[in-house]
Amino acid sequence: MQYRFKTDEGAVVWTVDPEGADRLTVTTGTQTLHVRHDAVSPHHLHLAVDGRGVNAFVWRGDGEKTVVIRGVPYPVQDADFAERKTKKKADRENLPQVITPPMPSVVVRIPVSEGDRVCKGQAVIVLTAMKMETTLTAPFPGRVTKINVAAGEKVMPGRILVDIEKEAETDAPEEGR
Amino acid sequence: MFKKILVANRGEIARRILHTCREMGIGTVAVYSDADRKAVHVLDADEAVHLGAADPSESYLHIDRIIAAARETGAQAVHPGYGFLAENGDFAERCEREGLVFIGPTARVIRALGDKTVARETMIRNGVPVIPGMNRPESDPDALAREADLLGYPVLIKAAVGGGGKGMRIVQARDALREACVSAASEAAAAFGNGAIYLEKYLARPRHIEFQILADGLGNVVHLLERECSIQRRHQKIIEETPSPALTPELRERMGQAAVAAARASGYVNAGTVEFLLDPDGRFYFLEVNTRLQVEHPITEMVTGIDIVRRQIEIAAGLPLNLTQQEIRGRGHAIECRIYAEDPEQGFFPSPGTIVFMQEPTGPGIRNDCGIYAGFQVPVEYDPILSKLVAHGEDRDAAIARMLRALERYVILGIRTAIPFLMDVLRSDAFRAGETFTDFVAAHFSDWKPARTETDLARLAYIADDLGGRKETPATGLPAGEHPSPWQRLGNWRR
Repeated sequence: MQYRFKTDEGAVVWTVDPEGADRLTVTTGTQTLHVRHDAVSPHHLHLAVDGRGVNAFVWRGDGEKTVVIRGVPYPVQDADFAERKTKKKADRENLPQVITPPMPSVVVRIPVSEGDRVCKGQAVIVLTAMKMETTLTAPFPGRVTKINVAAGEKVMPGRILVDIEKEAETDAPEEGR
Repeated sequence: MFKKILVANRGEIARRILHTCREMGIGTVAVYSDADRKAVHVLDADEAVHLGAADPSESYLHIDRIIAAARETGAQAVHPGYGFLAENGDFAERCEREGLVFIGPTARVIRALGDKTVARETMIRNGVPVIPGMNRPESDPDALAREADLLGYPVLIKAAVGGGGKGMRIVQARDALREACVSAASEAAAAFGNGAIYLEKYLARPRHIEFQILADGLGNVVHLLERECSIQRRHQKIIEETPSPALTPELRERMGQAAVAAARASGYVNAGTVEFLLDPDGRFYFLEVNTRLQVEHPITEMVTGIDIVRRQIEIAAGLPLNLTQQEIRGRGHAIECRIYAEDPEQGFFPSPGTIVFMQEPTGPGIRNDCGIYAGFQVPVEYDPILSKLVAHGEDRDAAIARMLRALERYVILGIRTAIPFLMDVLRSDAFRAGETFTDFVAAHFSDWKPARTETDLARLAYIADDLGGRKETPATGLPAGEHPSPWQRLGNWRR
């Protein structure tokens, strides 16, 4: 069987020949590896690669696994899945971008008012999460049409905190810093 | 001695305090919020009292409810841990009024030292050197700008109360001062309920060196040597060690004496920490006194063999210290790495979530003060510290090697942690040479990414997991990640 992995330079193809329940012969682009593998627990694998032992810890995500080896996490992605995902992401990015918190947060300050013109990258809302402040900025130049939250309010990801109407790319306005 | 102590905190530090109480034969009461029903401190305590909603103001900062919990359970003393109410003079005073023993200094001392501008004045009067800066808080932007001009840029904005780097900003030039002051004051107000700020001269490339002190109610004061805490990100310590690679025996003696003088000057009783900055020319300046158990206290416990929490409880119970400065000797070298739920590849942004799997490091000289377990959901409402990993070795190199080995074995799946970052710091030439200054992370590790040299092994694991997983899952119908019990696996064999 074949595995296609995503890399920065496109996909690489590995050929895998399982032998019994716990052995694999794997041919990468450059070498052939003999692997013995045991599942120690549902997240813990022990591999012997050409006789050298290594522990790997696997955390399964959506079409991606994070494999931790000697303390370092490696994201490993199936290339076909990654391609589908990238396409979806590109579709998403064509939609108007919105001001929404990355995680459950509390609104600290709103440095803009309704009617303000904002330039791209300008701070529109300051949040705190896990005792750390973070600032959300305007994704494009525009006008603040509505502020949907107040300082002190708890907000969840997905909630649109500030509506910004997109305007043509003009130079940064002088007022309303 | 007390029969029962209430621990007014959560997570790893509450658990660590509970452990000593148990060793001393003292009953324990935990308190918890909605988010912490299954947190480690609840699981480890004799009794647990629910305080309220997850928000700290409704739970761990809610003085009335904590006092009521102590009354209800008959606790005689309250240990505040660090953070939350640990340096809140009102809480200490309230405990005193209600006939509860607050395990820490008196409300008067907490207030005097908690206001950093007042503390600076006390130290100046008692001949302890301080950093040039303001001796009272200021909110008027024009007055702050004038002070900054006087001190000369860069200046450091600091919150008058509180700590942990919250409300702290370095300002390089005048045009950035106003916005930085607003943002620092707002962060301080949110974290400590007090937005007062002041300015200090910003020292370039200092080391952060602190001394642990113990003072009993009979006037005995000793220090338990220093901790070097220069490796920081966002002004928050992530690696601490003792002894400091920068101190000579002579400098250690002088700084230790200054720390004891600082404790005496403020009438200090219980455990505390006197923080100093040490400049490259060997001059040291008083920074502040932390009137509580410090996050990084375990490294001191490892080298001195003294249980600081036990001493805190004994001092609070009125017992004498029975410890002279000559008896305190450091043995070997200890390092602590703080493990936070954060993503070191995304600017150390918090990474909350559920712990899917965990393997704790063990072995000679390893201590892990841990507040999580597999299945635990890390709440977003609190500081994202998960655990503190401590390694003790015969000397600095041995401690570093031991810590690296432990970090390699420490696996936490489900959220991001800075473990790979910490390993690279410990392996770096600068760290190994002891060149640990507070700008260390910015100077050597900005835009850090882990060297991912074992991608092939990771792919092999992906494949092995894929092939192993396919055989296994339908057997029990359990969701991935749950261990089937022998009874489930035996299936039909059970009668």
